[in-house]
Amino acid sequence: MTPAATFAALAAANTGTTGCSERQVVWQSGKVKLYRYRPTARPAASAPLLIVYALVNRPYMMDLQEDRSLIRGLLSEGLDVYLIDWGYPDGADRFTTLADYIDEHLAGCVEQVLQAHRLSDLNMLGVCQGGVLSLCFSALYPQRVKNLITMVTPVDFHSPADLLSKWARHIDVAAFVGAGNVSGDVLNQLFLSLMPFRLTQQKYVDLVAEPPDRAGLENFMRVEQWIFDSPDQAGAAFREFVTWFYQENRLAQNRLEIAGRKVDLHSLRLPILNLIGKRDHLVPPAASLALRGLVGSKDYTALEFDLGHIGMYISARAQHEVPASIAKWLASR
Amino acid sequence: MQADPWRQWQAFSALFTPPAPAGSARNGASSFAPFADLTERFNDAARAYLNGAANAPTPAVAAAARGFSESLRELFGDMPLPWNLGAGSADGGASPLSALHSPALGATRESQLRAQRITDAWRRVDEAQRRLQRLAADALREAAVAFAAKLAAAPPPAPSTEALHKLYGAWIDCAEDAYARAAHGEAFCSALAEYVNASSAWRNELQASIEHSAKLLDLPARSEINSLTQRLRAVEGELRGLREARRAKAKTPEPKAAKLKRARRKAKR
Repeated sequence: MTPAATFAALAAANTGTTGCSERQVVWQSGKVKLYRYRPTARPAASAPLLIVYALVNRPYMMDLQEDRSLIRGLLSEGLDVYLIDWGYPDGADRFTTLADYIDEHLAGCVEQVLQAHRLSDLNMLGVCQGGVLSLCFSALYPQRVKNLITMVTPVDFHSPADLLSKWARHIDVAAFVGAGNVSGDVLNQLFLSLMPFRLTQQKYVDLVAEPPDRAGLENFMRVEQWIFDSPDQAGAAFREFVTWFYQENRLAQNRLEIAGRKVDLHSLRLPILNLIGKRDHLVPPAASLALRGLVGSKDYTALEFDLGHIGMYISARAQHEVPASIAKWLASR
Repeated sequence: MQADPWRQWQAFSALFTPPAPAGSARNGASSFAPFADLTERFNDAARAYLNGAANAPTPAVAAAARGFSESLRELFGDMPLPWNLGAGSADGGASPLSALHSPALGATRESQLRAQRITDAWRRVDEAQRRLQRLAADALREAAVAFAAKLAAAPPPAPSTEALHKLYGAWIDCAEDAYARAAHGEAFCSALAEYVNASSAWRNELQASIEHSAKLLDLPARSEINSLTQRLRAVEGELRGLREARRAKAKTPEPKAAKLKRARRKAKR
């Protein structure tokens, strides 16, 4: 394929995806939506699984396309899957805090699922920053979470390989946020700066040098859309997250409080499955592996995959390994 | 004007960025052109190296490798890095807003001071960008040395599309390794922090300046909307608290004594 033909094929592949599996909104509070996915297999004998995605980027990465969907994999294992979509914060959300996200939005979604199933606890899968929110929620509401799965989740924010953390430590976050939100575009520049040659040059040059087939190009464009579909971040929550986690490492140092209540990871006694990408450049493995020494759970499992941060959701290998590992782990509890 | 101050900042920064050449990444319609161009330029350099190194004595192979590495360093040195929004904009205080060191006098004293702070912040942004670019250039130099050593360690491959692509991948590996070493270093971290902090100062001063003008025209300012938003949040919080208290009260069984008292009162009536 010539560069011109590749260019034309890429332009035509601009699909505007927001997920591929059938789902419906079962609860909404402001901009936050709770989705339930339509089951596709015989139900497994486990509580429903609530996926808590990060505030940064959009959750459709979990259901990008038919052959690259963690959610499809979980559904095919018979799991009853719910997903939180935090929406796109705007100027009216600038004072939304982490406590609002955890105590109102996340707790609201959990209550909705529990009421619908007449249960007292559910299974939770926290992804990346969503894993941090899930850990906080589990520590604050231990009776509500039966099993916790964390995926590419940072816990020790001061691990030596954590470049984002090193950069964040000298930044005046209060001045950076001001009284507003933080632009998703600005955050994207930061993420691109982590590996500028690969992320702003090589991946496009590779397209010219060895263009994939049409399906590959469509896949590329879906990922491209997702990468740059970055919601602005609610200012107050962003300021708290960077200060408390990246700069002060409060979670790992057992000094975190949300709305005046201590988030004590040592108090966590529930079964925990920690999924780690060995080649994750955003959340280095050591940042996730630290969880083991911080929780009180005796039932703790860590699974490391030879994958990067995004590869954990969408690589062909992840489709085979990740949902099956989650389902198997849940089935035995 | 866009509402988000960061977007305002980006748009404003773009005004200071030299216009991009036709067909560059900044032109939406031709966004692909720079990558096709980069591929071509890389291929030319790689072919020259492979042809020069084919069946040549060892010193000539090493020289060809060094030449190839140097050409890549130059090629990638031109690449605009993500923080490079407005490099080359300031020229040491000669901007129209300058008068940085003049005393602020008279009725417009406050405005003069603010203008000086804005100019100073922009100067800091520019300096930090230059520091970052210098560190990136150093990293590329280091990458070029590592790449030349890598090339010299193995006989040059026969020219083919696959060989060129592999060479490109090897070069990117060297560039990212060298960049990562720099990016983890204290000099880079402090330059990046200074860039962000100075940008924040610049944006906040600019915002205050625009707010001041808006008030003179009796236009609603962001701080007024923020104040209203916070009041609304406080009312919502209070309402939520009242609702929760009512719900908790409804769930709590009434004590026997209170029940009896209520029944007696009802009977009396």
